[in-house]
Amino acid sequence: MCVFAAATRLLVVWNRTTGEAFVANDGQRGGWPDRTGPDGGRPARAGLSEAILHFLERGVSLVVSSSDRANRPRVGRALAVQVPADGAWIGVCLDRTANAALLAAVAETGRFALAATEPSTHLSIQLTGEDATVTAADAEATILAARHVDAFAAELALIGYGDAFTRALMAHDPATLAMVRFRPSRLYDQTPGPKAGTAVPP
Amino acid sequence: MSAAIGASLTLDAIRACLEGAVPATIATCALDGTPNVSLLSQVHYVDPDHVALSYQFFNKTRANILANPIAVLQLIDPPTAAQYRMELSYLRTETSGPLFESMKAKLAGIASHVGMQDVFRLLGADLYRVTAIEAVPGGAPLPAPVAQRSLLSATRRACEALRGCADLTELLDHSLCALRGLFGVEHALILMPDEATGRLFTVAALGYDSSGVGSEVAPGEGVIGVAARERVPIRITHMTSDVAYSLTARDGAEDAGLTGGPAREIPFPGLERPHSQLAVPILAGRRLAGVLFVESRQEMRFTYDDEDALATLAAQLGALMQSLPPAEEVAPVPAACLEAGGAPVVVRHYAADDSVFVDHDYLIKGVAGAILWKLVRDHTTLGRTDFTNRELRLAPDIPLPDFAENLEARLILLQRRLEERCGVLRIEKTGRGRFRLVVTKPLLLQETA
Repeated sequence: MCVFAAATRLLVVWNRTTGEAFVANDGQRGGWPDRTGPDGGRPARAGLSEAILHFLERGVSLVVSSSDRANRPRVGRALAVQVPADGAWIGVCLDRTANAALLAAVAETGRFALAATEPSTHLSIQLTGEDATVTAADAEATILAARHVDAFAAELALIGYGDAFTRALMAHDPATLAMVRFRPSRLYDQTPGPKAGTAVPP
Repeated sequence: MSAAIGASLTLDAIRACLEGAVPATIATCALDGTPNVSLLSQVHYVDPDHVALSYQFFNKTRANILANPIAVLQLIDPPTAAQYRMELSYLRTETSGPLFESMKAKLAGIASHVGMQDVFRLLGADLYRVTAIEAVPGGAPLPAPVAQRSLLSATRRACEALRGCADLTELLDHSLCALRGLFGVEHALILMPDEATGRLFTVAALGYDSSGVGSEVAPGEGVIGVAARERVPIRITHMTSDVAYSLTARDGAEDAGLTGGPAREIPFPGLERPHSQLAVPILAGRRLAGVLFVESRQEMRFTYDDEDALATLAAQLGALMQSLPPAEEVAPVPAACLEAGGAPVVVRHYAADDSVFVDHDYLIKGVAGAILWKLVRDHTTLGRTDFTNRELRLAPDIPLPDFAENLEARLILLQRRLEERCGVLRIEKTGRGRFRLVVTKPLLLQETA
């Protein structure tokens, strides 16, 4: 499936399997990138449209979860999203020290969820996958994390949070970064409202 | 999760994370293990072992916790950005009552603050037991700001200041004085209930252009009315656009015409655009003795700690109100010698609601109105100026249930309204349980059925 924004700012969800498209968000609060992929919104990388990929790379809040074998949920905060050019998977960069239990659960079950929310607009999506793996972060991830902290600080400044607060919140040791790689299998519209949490049909 | 509740890190120690200033994150998982993560607008402190989360929509989080009751939160301390994780076990959902109402009011403020007033609606308060708390390792939290004052110290001094009060007037005055001097509160009201109607009327005020003494609030109306009805503190940390919590700018038009004649509403004195509000019920035993209300133009002015401090002060105030002996007379005083002269002033009484007007200006109604009408009648027909609380308590022409319990509050109300609105009449205390009606002009009484 993929998601892209039409010129009317309606969020349209496209099911890659069936070819059906439908409106998943009324877009009243606007803000979805008014941009489609080079092929008009068809899947770009990791099964996601350029619009969604662009959204993930903006100064959005990135929170993640997993669950262990005993079905206990784990929660954490991510630092950046990395999508390689070959488009096989999404990488999510996390501080290993702060997220030890979550990374252990990912390694154990492969289950992973990523929610990206833009604080100034409340636009939010969630991606989940069942095949997540934990790897060491590469040099590019370190650069992406630093860049994302800058973008997130600029975004939070729009709603009144000071730069020092955001940088303290996102503080991490570049030497201890981990990367969770997964292929998104489901995508939810999570913008607050009655449709929050509504699963898009597979 | 390593630190269990009661060990090194307690829920009380991280309550600043639950003020709603920064969204929390919640993770749950379905029975098949599929995880779900989302932001959370409200985590409400219930007691040292419980929190409640707002249930606004039937979403994935909700479906998950009903099937698999474990949730994990990641919380942010607003001033320092320190992060904590909290493991929860879902217990039940409440859809009415004190917990629901206090969350609903707070959510109204949060919703307006983040521009979601048309989206956030509380359907239920999901109650959870807190099973573990840990600080998120690593990070670089900012230094904690220095507190402006010690609320614990302020509470102790305030309670001590109330202890020596001899009567209700002193209790009310000392309470407002303590709020201003010890807690830095700039705007406050104390209201007391009319047992007959359930409505609350203002008896003391701090920091408003117009004191509003005598203004009324219905049970369930605004933060004050909800606090009174549910007997639970109601606190809003951001300005809300929800009209359910707005009490200001009533001009009395709604009241005109109900009983005939001119409007009888005393405008509520509250701030036009309060950014923080807190109403705390004052309980005397099981009885609602009043509501202590504070507000501010500053966002997040009143925290959980302020709520606890003022709830403690209100508890002390309620206990002392209950233990006050009836103010009966103790000593005779010389008769009044003031001679009234000049053109007469018309005092009109409407029997329908005991409202009293002086020269066409509304003064007071209800029990306080009935008291005033008795005083001016006795004054004009019998020449009396000195009265006792006891005779009012026994007076058949002030026929109200439970009247005796709140006589002092009514006299305070009447005394303050006369001070503020009437240059012709005033009430002066002349001793314990005794007072004098001072009349500076001749009175012409008119009774209207």
